Amino acid sequence: MDVSQQLADYAAANAAEVLERPTPVELDTGLLAAYDTTPVDADEYKAALEPHLLALTLTSTQALLAGLFSLPTKSSEHGPVAQLADPTFVLPREKPLPKPKPLTKWERFANAKGISHVKKDKKVWDDERQEWVARWGRDGKNKDAEDQWLHEVKNNGSDPTIDPRATAKAERKARTEKNAKQHARNLAEAAASPLSTLDRKPTAGTASQGEKANARSIRKAELDRGMLVSKVSTASLGRFDKSIEGEPRVKGIKRKFETNLGDHASEKASAMDVLNRLGTAERKRAPKKGGSGVEGGVNTRKAVRYEERAAQLANRRDGKSGGGRGGRGGKSGRGGRK
Amino acid sequence: MRPLTEDETKAVFEKLANYIGKNIVHLIDRDEDDQYCFRLHKDRVYYLPLPMLHLATSVARPNLISLGTCMGKFSKSGKFKLGVTALDWLAKYAKYKVWVKPTGELPFLYGNHVLKAHLGRITEDTPEHQGVVVFSMADVPLGFGATARSTIQTRDLDPAGIVVFHQADVGEYLRDEETMF
Repeated sequence: MDVSQQLADYAAANAAEVLERPTPVELDTGLLAAYDTTPVDADEYKAALEPHLLALTLTSTQALLAGLFSLPTKSSEHGPVAQLADPTFVLPREKPLPKPKPLTKWERFANAKGISHVKKDKKVWDDERQEWVARWGRDGKNKDAEDQWLHEVKNNGSDPTIDPRATAKAERKARTEKNAKQHARNLAEAAASPLSTLDRKPTAGTASQGEKANARSIRKAELDRGMLVSKVSTASLGRFDKSIEGEPRVKGIKRKFETNLGDHASEKASAMDVLNRLGTAERKRAPKKGGSGVEGGVNTRKAVRYEERAAQLANRRDGKSGGGRGGRGGKSGRGGRK
Repeated sequence: MRPLTEDETKAVFEKLANYIGKNIVHLIDRDEDDQYCFRLHKDRVYYLPLPMLHLATSVARPNLISLGTCMGKFSKSGKFKLGVTALDWLAKYAKYKVWVKPTGELPFLYGNHVLKAHLGRITEDTPEHQGVVVFSMADVPLGFGATARSTIQTRDLDPAGIVVFHQADVGEYLRDEETMF
């Protein structure tokens, strides 16, 4: 039975429009991705956007599927499974790079002296046991001295009553203690470091020595100020608190005056300046027109009125002798006398 | 002894301006060979010529009692009070003056206010509450004070009315001898 005709018909019916690509489609089967680097045909893109995009997608998808089928397969209970190659595309990092850790005191010292430090392995070879054992910790090699079943007492005049096991353990504990202390100090220094607390520079590496010193001095001043404030933050404003020995004295603001025998010209100039400003202030403070103290201290309006009243009074007197008007004149006369 | 700060200078000038007004300029801006300056010593303000200042620098602070002309003193609260010792300068540059009759000289020198009855002469246009220098009729400065009335108002005043409020007089040289210096 020849089905080639039917197959050809089926293929013709389902034939997808695969575009011709000048540069082949790149595949990254590890990420199940296909990259079509051929530039987009502007005319096609403008003429019919949707069909063109569809055709592009189809081309890339077909290339990817073809690539997948060319991969080596492995049989499984679900049928053959393609083995994907390792991804070749390098994805950018999601998170920013970690900040450099602050150096410990020893690291700083080693850097300054140019000491190259090789990190010790965690395991050491034990010749007696013929195996690698931990340098410290559980069954650590550092406990050999205290764990031995027999302790040799050297004949060098040392006290035989001293328990060598306890001594060895105490020494080991002291070393641990010292290291814990140093670690704590390193942590504290890193926390108090101006770069971590003040955030003046984003990274420790870029801050110059001067900037670091400056930030440190700022931090120190802040701490000093905080200490002073907290000292007087009691009910008695620190008056009845015990003073601690060796504590720095609180320094107030010192008054500063001009030198006694300084430049006389400048002193004169400043005095004149004060005087000029005094003048403007006086002018501002002076009463408004019509009030007392205007025009050489004479209130002209009042003076004129006074004179008028006096004249009226004189008039009335004259009028009274002649039998003229009286009532109004009397009133005005009283006003004039005040 | 030190120069005045700006605030202190302002306080002093404000008080002086009450008596001599714009004439303060003559206190500050003087001839090249007759320079004067203000200095503060033990809360007192002194007005002294420059050569005297140079001489005074060689006197230790506790030993220096007074120098130049004492203009007045600063109170503890920072207010400036003019002293009678400044009278010579005030009299020289005074803007408003009051002359008292010989009968009124003694009452004023005992620390009393100047009454209308004792008023000999007064500068024209003197306003109310103006700082004035009090003179005897022979033009001898006796003290200073502040007017209670303006010149015009004094005309209507009865003889017992106060014309000038007493502030300082030369009688203090005797009365306050202990505390003056």
